[in-house]
Amino acid sequence: MLRPIRILAAAAAALALVSACNSASGSSSGGGSGAPGGGAGGVRGVTPTTVKVGGIVSMTSAGGYSKKDTDLGARARYLRANAEGGVHGRKIEYLGAEDDGQDPGKNMAAARKLVQQDKVFAVAPMSSVTFSGADFLEQEKVPTFGWGTLPSFCGPKYIYGFNGCLVPSPGGTLNQTWPEGIATVLGGARGKSVAVIANDSDAGKFGIRTFRTGFAAAGFDVAYAKASVPATAVPSDWSAYVKDILASNGGRAPDAVVSVMQTPNNIGLFTALKRAGYQGLLSDPTDYDPGLLAKDATRQALDGVHVLLQFEPFESTSPAMERFKADIKAANGGRDVPLNMHMLTGYMSADLFVSIAQKAGKDLTVESFQAAAQSFSDTGTLVGDRSEPKGQKDSFGCGALVQLRNGRYEVSVPFMCHPPIPFQ
Amino acid sequence: MGDLLVFCLSGLVSGALYALLATGLVLSYSASGLFNFAHGATAYLCALTFYELHSGLGWPAVPAALLVVAVLAPGLGWGLDRLMFRKLARVGETAQIVATIGLLVALPALGLWAVELLAAARAPVEPAENQFGLPGVGPSPAKAWQLADGVGIDSDQLITWVVTAVVAAALWVLLRHTRLGLRLRASVDNRSLTELRGISADRLSSVAWMIASALAGLAGVLATPLLGLSAHDFTLFLFVSATAAVIGRFASVPLAFAGGLGLGVLQNLVAGYASFAEDITGFRTAVPFLILFAGLLVLTRRQRTAGTAASDTAPPDHLAGASWARRWGVWAAAAVLLGIAFHTVTTPFWSGLLAQGLAVGLVFMSFTVVTGLGAMVSLAQATFVTGAALVAGLLMSRGWPFAAALVAGAAAAAVLGALVALPALRLGGRALALATLALAFLADQVLFQLRWLRNGDSGWAVPRPVIGPVDLSDDRAFGLALVVVVSLVAAGLAALRNSPAGRAVLAVRSAPAAAMASGVSVLRTKLLLFTLSAGLAGFGGVLYASFNTRITATDFTAMTGLVWLAVVVAAGVRRPQYAVVAGLVFAVLPQLMSDYVTESAHLPVVLFGLAGLALANDPDGYCAAIPVRRARRAAATAPAGPSPTPPLPEPVTTPRTPPARTGPGAEPGTGPRAQPGTGLGAQPGGGPGAEPRTGTGAQPRTGPEAQPRGGPGAQPRTGTGAQPRTGPEAQPRRGPGAQPRTGTGAQPQGEPGAQPRTGTGAQPRGGSGAEPGTGLGAEPRGGPGAQPRGGPEAQPRTGAGAQPRGGPGAETPDSGRGGVGNGSAQRDGGPTALELCGIRAGYDGGVVLHGVDLAVRPGEVLALLGPNGAGKTTACRVAAGLLPAQAGTVRIGGRDATRDGAVGRSRAGVLLAPEGRGIFPALSIEENLALFLTDAQARAAVYDRFPRLAERRTVAAGSLSGGEQQMLALAPLLQRPPGVLIADEPSLGLAPRVVDEVYALLGELRAAGTALLLVEEKAAEILGLADTVAFLSQGRLSWCGPRAEVEPDRLTEAYLGIATGGNP
Repeated sequence: MLRPIRILAAAAAALALVSACNSASGSSSGGGSGAPGGGAGGVRGVTPTTVKVGGIVSMTSAGGYSKKDTDLGARARYLRANAEGGVHGRKIEYLGAEDDGQDPGKNMAAARKLVQQDKVFAVAPMSSVTFSGADFLEQEKVPTFGWGTLPSFCGPKYIYGFNGCLVPSPGGTLNQTWPEGIATVLGGARGKSVAVIANDSDAGKFGIRTFRTGFAAAGFDVAYAKASVPATAVPSDWSAYVKDILASNGGRAPDAVVSVMQTPNNIGLFTALKRAGYQGLLSDPTDYDPGLLAKDATRQALDGVHVLLQFEPFESTSPAMERFKADIKAANGGRDVPLNMHMLTGYMSADLFVSIAQKAGKDLTVESFQAAAQSFSDTGTLVGDRSEPKGQKDSFGCGALVQLRNGRYEVSVPFMCHPPIPFQ
Repeated sequence: MGDLLVFCLSGLVSGALYALLATGLVLSYSASGLFNFAHGATAYLCALTFYELHSGLGWPAVPAALLVVAVLAPGLGWGLDRLMFRKLARVGETAQIVATIGLLVALPALGLWAVELLAAARAPVEPAENQFGLPGVGPSPAKAWQLADGVGIDSDQLITWVVTAVVAAALWVLLRHTRLGLRLRASVDNRSLTELRGISADRLSSVAWMIASALAGLAGVLATPLLGLSAHDFTLFLFVSATAAVIGRFASVPLAFAGGLGLGVLQNLVAGYASFAEDITGFRTAVPFLILFAGLLVLTRRQRTAGTAASDTAPPDHLAGASWARRWGVWAAAAVLLGIAFHTVTTPFWSGLLAQGLAVGLVFMSFTVVTGLGAMVSLAQATFVTGAALVAGLLMSRGWPFAAALVAGAAAAAVLGALVALPALRLGGRALALATLALAFLADQVLFQLRWLRNGDSGWAVPRPVIGPVDLSDDRAFGLALVVVVSLVAAGLAALRNSPAGRAVLAVRSAPAAAMASGVSVLRTKLLLFTLSAGLAGFGGVLYASFNTRITATDFTAMTGLVWLAVVVAAGVRRPQYAVVAGLVFAVLPQLMSDYVTESAHLPVVLFGLAGLALANDPDGYCAAIPVRRARRAAATAPAGPSPTPPLPEPVTTPRTPPARTGPGAEPGTGPRAQPGTGLGAQPGGGPGAEPRTGTGAQPRTGPEAQPRGGPGAQPRTGTGAQPRTGPEAQPRRGPGAQPRTGTGAQPQGEPGAQPRTGTGAQPRGGSGAEPGTGLGAEPRGGPGAQPRGGPEAQPRTGAGAQPRGGPGAETPDSGRGGVGNGSAQRDGGPTALELCGIRAGYDGGVVLHGVDLAVRPGEVLALLGPNGAGKTTACRVAAGLLPAQAGTVRIGGRDATRDGAVGRSRAGVLLAPEGRGIFPALSIEENLALFLTDAQARAAVYDRFPRLAERRTVAAGSLSGGEQQMLALAPLLQRPPGVLIADEPSLGLAPRVVDEVYALLGELRAAGTALLLVEEKAAEILGLADTVAFLSQGRLSWCGPRAEVEPDRLTEAYLGIATGGNP
C-alpha cells in the first residue's frame, strides 16, 4: 500500500505544481480571467501605448502545403503602421502567427492560446483551410481578420474576410468577376460554351452549382459542369475526363474550360487537354503563384492559362501595389522575395484591421472597434472598394485575370469590380 | 475500344507504382509477419530526400535517385528491422499494427524536422513544402509523345514503366535464380523450417526489409512528379496499394505485382465509365477504398480457428487480485484533484486544455473497449465521432435538447459501428484494421459528403449543455462535468470487464474456438463490443464537439483516427484510465513542448509516433510500463508461496503409478521454477524403482511437508525437488546452471532406492548391470559432461536439497536422468550426439515439459513414444532450438548449446524433420533439394536414388503425395547425413508401405552414423528400429530403457495413459 500512496503524492504534487505555475504565469501577465472583451480593468490586449495582435496560419500541414508567407505579409503591414506612429499612438505588438497545421484541433488550441494566454485584442491574419476556433473567437468577442474562403467568415459579427465573405450562400449574391473576365477575353459570352469541372466532393458540387449559375447569368452556354475528379488523390491519368470534356459541346470542344480545383489537379488536367490538342481558353482560380514559374514543369503545364485573382495583380503599377512591394521587402530584411498571394492575404488582413482600428479612434475597445466597423468603407485598395458589414455577407466583388505566357504573368483583364448577381 | 486501350495504358502508370509498393508490402510482411502501414511514409521520406539532394544540394537526378534507392532506403529498412520490426514480430498483432502506424506518423515529421534543423544550420536545403511539378528522374518538364490519336505518353510515364519492368525482371531473377532468392522464398514459405535448415531467418528478414524499403524508395522517387511532397498523399497511395497486397494474399510477390497493375487499370476504367454514379457525391473518390474493402472481404482467407493457440491473449494483469484502493486509489485521488484544480489554480487557458484532454480521453476510452478488451484494431473511431456529432448537431438545430441529441448521436454511432462491423468482423487482425480504415475513408468521402448531414463547410453548432442551474458554457464547469463523466465511464468499463460479458470477450479474444465450444457466440460478442465501442466514441464525440461548440465533417478524418490510435495505444489500452492519460497528454504535450522545448510543430508528432516504438518493449503501454516491470520483478523475487494445490497423497507406492505427476493442475500453482526440480526427481527414476519417486514431481512442489510422506526412497527426492523451488536459489537454475540438480543429488537417492535404479540405469543399454547404473548417475557428473553442470549454481541447490534431508546424496536426480542416454553414453564411453538434461519448457503460461532428460549417441536410434499431448513435439522443438528451454541444458556433441537458436543448432548438425512434412510446399522439388544440397551432383544422386522425384523435379513440392513429401524431406539427408536427426512423427498419415520405406531410410541414416531421435505416437513399427525407447507422458519421462525391455503393458500404459492418470 505504500507504493500507490507515494505515486499518489507525486502525482498530486506534479498536478499542483503545474496548476500553480499556470496560475502564476497567468496572473503575472495581467488581466483577470473570464472577462472577455475587457471590462473595468481595461481592454484585453490594449494599453495606452500598445495593442496586441496575434495570427493563426497553416505554416505546415500533413499535405505539405504552407501558407507561411501570410505571416510575412501581416508583419509588413504592421511594420509600416508602427513606422507611421501606430494606431492613434498605440504601437501594434504583433505576436506572430500560431501554426495550426491545417488541423482543426490545433486551430482551436491556437485561438484559445491567443485569447486566454496571450490576451490579444484581435487576430489578424487567420488563414487556413479549417477554422474551428471561429465560434470561440466570436464568443470571446475577438475581432478576427483573414481569408474569407470559409463559412465562418460569413455571418459572425467579429470575423471579417479581407476581401469579404467568399462563400456564397443561397439568398446572397455571386461574384461575377470570373465569368465577366472570361467573356472579356473571348470577346463576349454570346454563343460561347464553357466547361466547368470540380472535385468529387460536397464542396466541389457546391462550386459547380455556383459557377453554373454565374456563367449562365453572364450569357455562357454551360456545356459541361461536373464534380467528378477524385478529391483525395490526384489522378495519374486524365484521359477519361479529357475525353468527356472535349465532346461536351455537342461533340465538339467547348470554348473555355474552367477548373475549380487545386493546382496539382489543374496541372494534370491542363497538360492532358493540351496534349489532346485542345486550343480553347483554360482558366482556374488558384494558380497565381510566382513560385510556379520557378519550375519548368509547372511553367509549361500552365502556359497560356488565365488565372482569376480577387486582388490587384502584382504586375500592376498602382501606388498601393508599389507600397505593398516596398513593405514586404522591408519586412524581409531588405531582401527581395518572390511575391505570392499569401503575402497579400496577410497584408490585407492586417490592413483591414488597422484601417478599422484607425477609424475607431483613440478610445480603443471592442465596442468602439465594432461600432467603427459597422460603418466602415474605403476605396481603391488592393482588393478594391471595401465596406463593412457588407463584407461579412458578400465578397467585395472585384477581381482580375492574368495569363501565364512565356514564363511570366500578364494581366489579361485588369482589376475591376463587377456588380454581383443574386444567388438562389 | 480506343478509349479502353488508353484507359488501360495510362492506368498502368499508377498501377506500376501500386505494384512497387505492394511488392514491398508483401516482401516485408512475409519476412516478419508485419503489415507495414508506414510503407508509404518510407516512400515519402525517400521522395523528400531525393528532392533535397536533387533540388537542394543540386546533385544530378540519376545519382541522387540511385543513392536514395540503393543506399539510403535499404539502410532505413535495415535500421528499422534491427530496431523495431524484429522485436515487433514477437509481440501481439495489435502492438505491431499500432507501432507501424506510429511510424507512419513519425517518419514524415522526422524528415520535415531534419530539413528544418538543416535549414537552421544553414545547409543549402530547400524548404520541404509541397510544390507542384517537382522534377523526377527524367527531363522536367516531361517530354510527351503522341502515339496515336488520343494515345499519348510522356517521359515520366515511360520511365515509370521501364523502371518498373526492369525491377520486376530483377526481382524475378533474384527470387528465382539466386541462392538468396531461394532462401527468401523458402522463408516466406515456412519461416521456422528455414531456421531448422540452418538459414538465419532474421538475416533474411533484414534483407527482405532492405529490398522492401528500396522498392518504397523507388516508388517515392518515381512518384515525386505525380504526388509532390505530400506525406498524406503518399500514405493514401499506400492504402490503395494495400489492395494489391491483399490480392497477393500477402504472400505472393507476382500476384501482388500483377494486382497492382490491374488496380491502376481498374481505377482508370471506373473513372472513365462510372458516370452511372454521378449522383453519389464522392463515389469516384472512394473507388480505391471500395476495391480495398471488397478485396479484403473476398480474398482474405478465413482464419483457421481450430488449433490456433491464441489469437491475441491479454497480457497478464499486474494488479490482478489487488485491493480496490490499490487499483483505483491513485486515480480517484487524481480525479478529485483535477476537479478541485479546475476551480482553484488553473487559468482559463489551461482549464480549456485540460477539459479538451478529458473530452478526447472520453473518445479514447472507446479504444479501451475495442482494442484493449477485444484485441481488435479499429481505425474507424474518428468516423464514429464525426457521425455522432453530426447527427447530434443536426438534431439540435431542429430544436432537440442536448441530452436527447447526445443519446441519439451515440446511438447513431453505435448503429454505424454495427454496420461497419457486420461485414468486417470475420476478418481478424490486420485485415480488420484495413477494412475499418477503408470504411473510414468511405465514410469521409461518401457518407459525410451528404449535404443534409454535413451542412456544407460550416457544419452544425453544438452548443454547450445547460442542465438546470448548471451552465456548462464555462470551461471550468465543463471540465468538472467531464471529470465526473469520465470517472463514471471508467468505472463502468472496469465493471464490464469483470462481468460475465467481459469474460466472454476475453474468451473470444484468446481462443475463439474454445469460446465457441463453451457456447459463447464469437460473432455476437465481437459485434456487441464493436457496437459498444462505436457508441462510446460517439458519446465522447458529441461531448468533444460540444466543447468546441461546433462540428464540421472535416474535423475528425480517417487520418485523425490513425493518430489517435497511436497515441492511445502507446499509453496503454488495458485500463480506461490510461486512455484518459493519453487524452490529457495529447492535449497538453504539444503546448508544453512549444512553451519549453521547441517551436517546431514536428517534434510532438515525432514523439507521439515514436511512442509506438516503445510497444515493442512494453506492449502494455507506457502508463503501465513501470508498475508492470516492478510487478514482474516482485514476482520474480518473491518466494513461491505454498502451492495452492493441496499436497497430493503420496504416490510412492508402485513404480508404475507415479502419482507424482500431479497433473497439470498442480503445476501452475507451483510456479515455474518448481518443475525443474520435479523433473529431476522424476527422471532419475529412469528405473522402475525410480519412477514412483520421479513421478512424485508433485510432492516436491508441495514443499517440505511432502517428505514425511514419502517412502524412504521418495523423501530424498521430494525434499530436493521442493526446496529448490521455494528458495530463491531457484533462479540460478534457469541459467546454464539449470543443471544444479545434476549435482550431488544423485547419490543419496542411489542409496535408498539404489537397487531399482541402478538396475534401471544399467538396463537401458542392456549394459553392465547395476553398477554402471549407479555409476551412471554418478559418473556423468564426474565426467566431462558433468562438470559443466557442477557450476557454481549447482551448489546452492545442492545445499538446499541436501540439508533437509541430511543425507549427502539426497538429490539423486541425475542418476535417474542418466537413464537412457547417459547410460549408454557411459557404457561406450563415447560422447552423446544430442543430450537434453532436465529440460523444462512450455508455451506462455503453460509448462509442457517438466524436466526431461534424453540423450542419443551417433549411430543410435532413440524412440520417444507417448500419447497425444505428452510433450513429444515440444521436446523436439526444444531439441532443435525452436523453443527455448525454461530450464535445463541441451548439449550437442558434449558442447552446451542451450542458448543456440534453431539456426545455430542446425549448423551444429542437429536437424529437425518437423511434424507434418519438412518441406517447402511452394518451392519445386529441385529447389527444396537445392536448399540443403548446394552441389548439383549430390542432387543428381538423390534423383538416381528416387527416380520418382526426378520425374517431377519442377513440380511444386506441395503437390506431391504425403509419402513422396516425406521422402523429399529425408532423401537429401542421405547425401549429407546430419549429426543428429530429430524426426517428429515421420510416419504420420502415411500408408504402411510408405512407412516401411521411411524407416528403411532412417535405418540407412543410422548406419551412416547419424544419431536419431524418433518421435512417434504409434509404437509398432518404430520398435523395430529403436535401440532405446523412452515413454513420455504429461511432460515427464515415465520410463526409459532398452527396446528389449519394453513390455506390452508398459506400452498400453503409455498409450492409454493409465500410468499417467493417477491424479485426483
